[in-house]
Amino acid sequence: MSGWIIKGLKSGVVSTHYPDGGENAQGVSPGLPSPAGGVGVDTPIGRCPTSALKAKDGGAALDKFRCVHCHRCDRNVEPTIPWDSSYEWAEKRGKTPELPKAFQRSTHIRVLDAGDCGACLNEMKLLNNPFYNMHRLGFFITPTPRQADLLVVLGPVADHMKTALLKAYEAMPAPKKVMSVGTCSATGGVFEDGFMTSTKLEDIIPVDVVVPGCPPPPLAILHGLLLVTGREDEIRSDATARPAADSSGKEAGDA
Amino acid sequence: MSDDMMEQIKKLCPKTRVKTDKRSGDVEFLCDRASTPRVCQCLAEDHDFQFAGLVVEERKEWELNYIFSGVTPNGRAVVKTKAPLDDREFESVSVLVHAADWHEREAEDLFGLVFKGHPRLGDFILHDDVWQEGVEPMRRAFKPETALSSREPRDGWRPRKIVDVPGGFIMPIGPVFSGDAESVHFQLETIGEEVMYAFPRLFFKYRGVEKIVEGRSAEDALLLVERFAGTTAFSHALAFSMAVERLAKADIPERAKFLRVFLAELERFRSHLSTINAICASTGLAVGASQTAILEEKALRISGALTGHRYLFGLAALGGLTRDFDKIALHTALDGVADVLDEAGRVENLLVNTSSFLDRLEEVGAIERDQAVLHGLVGPVARASGYLRDLRETQPYAAYDKCGFKSVGEVEGDGYARLRVLFREIERSVEMMKRVVAELPDGPCYSPVSFAKGAAFAGVETPRGAAWHWVRMDKNGKIERCRLATPSFTNWHGFHLAAENFAFQDFPIILATFGLSVAENDR
Amino acid sequence: MPNDTIIFASIFGGCALGALLATVLKGKAMRVAWAGFGCLASIAMLALGVGGVFAESARHIPLWTVPHVGPVSFSVDHLSGFFLIVTALVAIPAMIFAAATTSDEKARKTPLAPLSLVLLASVALVILAADVFLFIVAWEVMSILIYLLACGGPKERPGYLMLAVGETGTLAVLVALLLLGSHAGSLSFQAIQASSAGLSATLVEVVFALTFLGFGVKAGLIPLNFWLPEAYTAIPSPIMPFVAGATLNLGLYGIMRSNMYFLPTTFAGPGVCMLLVGAVTALIGILYATIADDFKTLLAHSSIENAGIITTAFGAGMIFLSAGHKAAAAMALIAALYHLLNHSIFKTLLFMGAGTLERSANTRSLDEMGGLLKRMPWTGLFVLVGALSISAMPPFNGFVSEWLTIESLLRSVELSSMGLKMVFVAAGAAIMLTAGLAVTCFVRAFAMSFLGISRSEKAANASETNRAALSTMAAVAVICFVLGVVPTFAIPALDRVVAPVAGASGSTALVPTFFHPDTDKLPKKFTAEFHDLGAQIGKDAIPARGMVVMHRGGKKNPVVFAMSTPYMFVMLVVLLAALVLIVRLATKNRKVSRRPRWDGGVRRFLPEMTYTATGFAQPVRVLFEAIFRPKVSDRRESIAQHFRMSIQRKREEIHLIDRLILYPLAKATKAVAAVFAKMHNGRINAYAVYALLALIIFLAIAAAL
Repeated sequence: MSGWIIKGLKSGVVSTHYPDGGENAQGVSPGLPSPAGGVGVDTPIGRCPTSALKAKDGGAALDKFRCVHCHRCDRNVEPTIPWDSSYEWAEKRGKTPELPKAFQRSTHIRVLDAGDCGACLNEMKLLNNPFYNMHRLGFFITPTPRQADLLVVLGPVADHMKTALLKAYEAMPAPKKVMSVGTCSATGGVFEDGFMTSTKLEDIIPVDVVVPGCPPPPLAILHGLLLVTGREDEIRSDATARPAADSSGKEAGDA
Repeated sequence: MSDDMMEQIKKLCPKTRVKTDKRSGDVEFLCDRASTPRVCQCLAEDHDFQFAGLVVEERKEWELNYIFSGVTPNGRAVVKTKAPLDDREFESVSVLVHAADWHEREAEDLFGLVFKGHPRLGDFILHDDVWQEGVEPMRRAFKPETALSSREPRDGWRPRKIVDVPGGFIMPIGPVFSGDAESVHFQLETIGEEVMYAFPRLFFKYRGVEKIVEGRSAEDALLLVERFAGTTAFSHALAFSMAVERLAKADIPERAKFLRVFLAELERFRSHLSTINAICASTGLAVGASQTAILEEKALRISGALTGHRYLFGLAALGGLTRDFDKIALHTALDGVADVLDEAGRVENLLVNTSSFLDRLEEVGAIERDQAVLHGLVGPVARASGYLRDLRETQPYAAYDKCGFKSVGEVEGDGYARLRVLFREIERSVEMMKRVVAELPDGPCYSPVSFAKGAAFAGVETPRGAAWHWVRMDKNGKIERCRLATPSFTNWHGFHLAAENFAFQDFPIILATFGLSVAENDR
Repeated sequence: MPNDTIIFASIFGGCALGALLATVLKGKAMRVAWAGFGCLASIAMLALGVGGVFAESARHIPLWTVPHVGPVSFSVDHLSGFFLIVTALVAIPAMIFAAATTSDEKARKTPLAPLSLVLLASVALVILAADVFLFIVAWEVMSILIYLLACGGPKERPGYLMLAVGETGTLAVLVALLLLGSHAGSLSFQAIQASSAGLSATLVEVVFALTFLGFGVKAGLIPLNFWLPEAYTAIPSPIMPFVAGATLNLGLYGIMRSNMYFLPTTFAGPGVCMLLVGAVTALIGILYATIADDFKTLLAHSSIENAGIITTAFGAGMIFLSAGHKAAAAMALIAALYHLLNHSIFKTLLFMGAGTLERSANTRSLDEMGGLLKRMPWTGLFVLVGALSISAMPPFNGFVSEWLTIESLLRSVELSSMGLKMVFVAAGAAIMLTAGLAVTCFVRAFAMSFLGISRSEKAANASETNRAALSTMAAVAVICFVLGVVPTFAIPALDRVVAPVAGASGSTALVPTFFHPDTDKLPKKFTAEFHDLGAQIGKDAIPARGMVVMHRGGKKNPVVFAMSTPYMFVMLVVLLAALVLIVRLATKNRKVSRRPRWDGGVRRFLPEMTYTATGFAQPVRVLFEAIFRPKVSDRRESIAQHFRMSIQRKREEIHLIDRLILYPLAKATKAVAAVFAKMHNGRINAYAVYALLALIIFLAIAAAL
């Protein structure tokens, strides 16, 4: 038994500083295309399979809720669209009232997998690991929607899951919030045209915050959680963290 | 293919037409409907073939392809049978080859085929309590606009119940349960305390991927194929690419082959760590769970730093990989992985010395080898029961033949055996990655593929076991039929073997040691 | 006091006339005759009983002289008075209930009304009989009537079993009484009682063993109680409340009568025997009650349990008596009598509930019930009262008597013998465990029948019973409540039964004198402190001493155990009201929204998905597997060797007593019979040898004598 204690102590503190500061370890985010101007980018725009990139003012504009990080706009194509490695992607929707103060700093979350591929769910699960440790920010996962203040829905809403989704939403006591995580639950993602996945989450229940990403990395979900609980003012990171470049450097999480 | 096998099959079905693909060595037996089960049984029982999947195609005729995978590098066989479109009755193969059970149920649900002798058809992918009778979504005539399922479940519908004991009842779990579990519904048949039988009701997450990709280009389909099961995205994308490449008779650059091995093993490394983490968490070993969660996150960050995506999305391409990696990046990743492996070794050392942890794993959810063979189980679950099948060894693809891969296994078949297999396999994965980095040839890692009409299939050993992807392309280079036979589908079918007569509190542990993905099963 | 003739005419004549009319009449008239004459007889019994308890001494009413036997007579003393009261309290509501719930069809099939009225008369006869002859005749009549009732069902086995075991018991009792009679030189109880002091130790042991075994059959004590669950299940529901409430008591009456009056109270042996047998009976009874699926079987096993508790308390009293601790003895005996009274009342109520459930839901299986509270709210309420009473929950009567029982067992510290103390500790532990399991048992019984959702079609279509039946249940529930809140009324009456035997007043022991401020035995300051406990305050608030108190130790250092049910009840009401008020006030401005239950998101939550009664009892089954020793066999069926189609589990649980005693006994008997069968080989010369052997043995015995 003592072996575990020593091991635990040896591991030290690995938690990220986010949201007190930016996280610039490598490999924490897949990043997004950041089309800043640019001329002659029609080829990469044309290669975008999900219409996330659209031509605008001669350059390209990104609809981040549609991007699935396929990198077809920056690999094996000329010219390329530059990418950043940001992760603060979440956006507020709707006008449901803010959670009362008491709920903001102790928010219980029911995670609902409505057809997710496993990646979003894994990233959600990883928020509990020592690197992200969402408990320190007062976020807890609860097994029953009865005790949940926030419903986090992942995945395109598969037809067979609709009843369960509605039941879970119904079972939650007010005040309640809904956060959509991942491109699939935002727009349907690659499953948009499916006969079992053709309804968007926002068409079924009111959504407060949408976190895009395929999958959104844990930090993006954490950003969404802070947003949905009305705690934006606690975020003190720079808007863009250091780019998670393809090579070089040891991961900072190894401290 | 051995001669006595050919003879035996000729005897069973004299009209069998045998077709051998020169390039791949795959053999196709075209049998009549009546003798198909016997031929399949002959392959499975007498010649050590493992059932890999059933592909139903609605063309000018019904075409049913029972895919088998053998133990030799060219050991793939397809038993094919045909019937006119207005005749939907087939002899059930699963009565003789049990592994085909769920595949036939799926075909019944999605195509409306009838398998004579199959005792349990209906309520599978399309849930009978809400789905409209007679709507068969995989058929050509299916219109997605038709109202599919109602929100109100049908009155009088009752769940399947096989335990007959006075006072017995069903303990329902899910589909929404636990903290962050995937959506699946379990029916635990119990009389309290002891669960006598447990079976999963799956396909709550059925998204119809195989239907969505129809009529799309292979490149577009690839997006879906790597995103239907996000935690094993690269392996599935690889299997799909290989099927398309095999169809196109394309030659892949050597460097791409080696890098594919590297990425596949990186994915396996990360996926196994995730399963180990889930096992620790299921036993309530908090420190162990945290330590393994650290390892998983490190593996994810290494993947992210190396490839730009934590789950290796967008890397596989038809004809190679979408990008190359320089030596420094590969070495950095390899060093990181080796560090994580060292850590994992230390954690394993602690785990095997924690008696409270072992008590909960040993003899829990054990599966006998003959049951594993009968159900055609795959991956670490099968290998922990002594059923040593690993496509990387038996039918090496990419550059595995050059890396000298040897599979590992255990014999007890219980939860602890599965855990040990996972630990041994991550060691092998790092070994493979080292070999790749040491022997990586120079050159391009992508060569364009010209698409061809026809059908082909390929198998890949994903982290959870063998996956088989079948692709048929039409003359316009669009996908006509795609079938994803996934290891989770295979292993969920055998899950009930480990879930009979156990104490309720062991259920999460049995579930965790199986390391199954619902998304991969539900497609 | 009305004179004896009128009273006896009302009891026996009323029953006879009622039986006659009920046979002749049909429909509503039959019901009225049944209930009316039943009540008339019961009220007469009540009057007789009250007279008996409060009379100074026993009253003998000689009847007539039977040739060759001698004079037969009735007698009404304290003990029989008490049992008459209990019988009457049970019979009044039970007879009305029976008349109200018997369907015309059932009445046509079995003559329930005449049988039950004659049964009532025979019960009165057993209690009143004052000599061996009349007693045995009455006892036999009663046994045969119960046999006839038990045979009314589809199966004959319960009746035969009951009769066979019952006759064994009667035989034992008869032998014992004749032994006593021959010692006394007369068959009248009066003479037997008078000569009790002169009995030899061996005779006491023999008579005790025979009477305890014989009466124990009727009381449901081990080992001869295996007939009881089967018979209770077979007896028709309308009449079951009366049978359960009145006839089980007669076995206990026999035990009490013989040990308190016929046998000298100077031996500890019988007491120890009763204490241990009682405790084991209680524990085994409640264990089997907890796992029973059939509601009536459950109640039958629970009757066995309660008979065990009563016997335990009674045995404790007899031990105290033999050791000379009169006050403690009086308390234990009061506990036994009070629990007997209470058990009769709440068991009657529960059997009324079970009968109503069977009638409305058309099943007795708890597994098939569920959710009945919505359909039968009143029955549910009354069964809840019964369940709370039997689980010994305040403010109901079971609490008081079980508390008294356990407190009197604790007084074993006063005994000097270490061996006796150990016996008390063992019995006390068993009784405590029993009390705990009783809560489990009746939580399960109530929850699985009334709460949750209906687990069968039958339960889903159940409806509330008629008003007459409900009002009888209500009346019994009220008695449960009254006996639980003001036991201080009942205890002095019980004391009158006990005091002459114990030689000390239990009442005085229970409420010690130092609670009276006018006493000058203790310093004023000391008693003033005790005033706060409420013994006196009660006099203003409630017209009775509000507290049951036990004390021991010296005057200087008294140790007091006190329990006040009225104040407990008042506090309960006040606290609950306050709680409701606080919650109301605190949530005045809150909007309460009700949402459907969370079921994990299944499309429809089905009855199959809820806990069954069997599932609820499974932990007890697993925990006490050593006692239940189930034989479990699984059969797995597969198609084509691998499609698992069904798993059938058979679970055979042979009752402990059957397993350990009955079956080996039956096997041995069969073996002996087989040996004898071999001797009947039909050869003449073999028979000649037998005759010769018999002659030699006979001669040898004659020579030896």
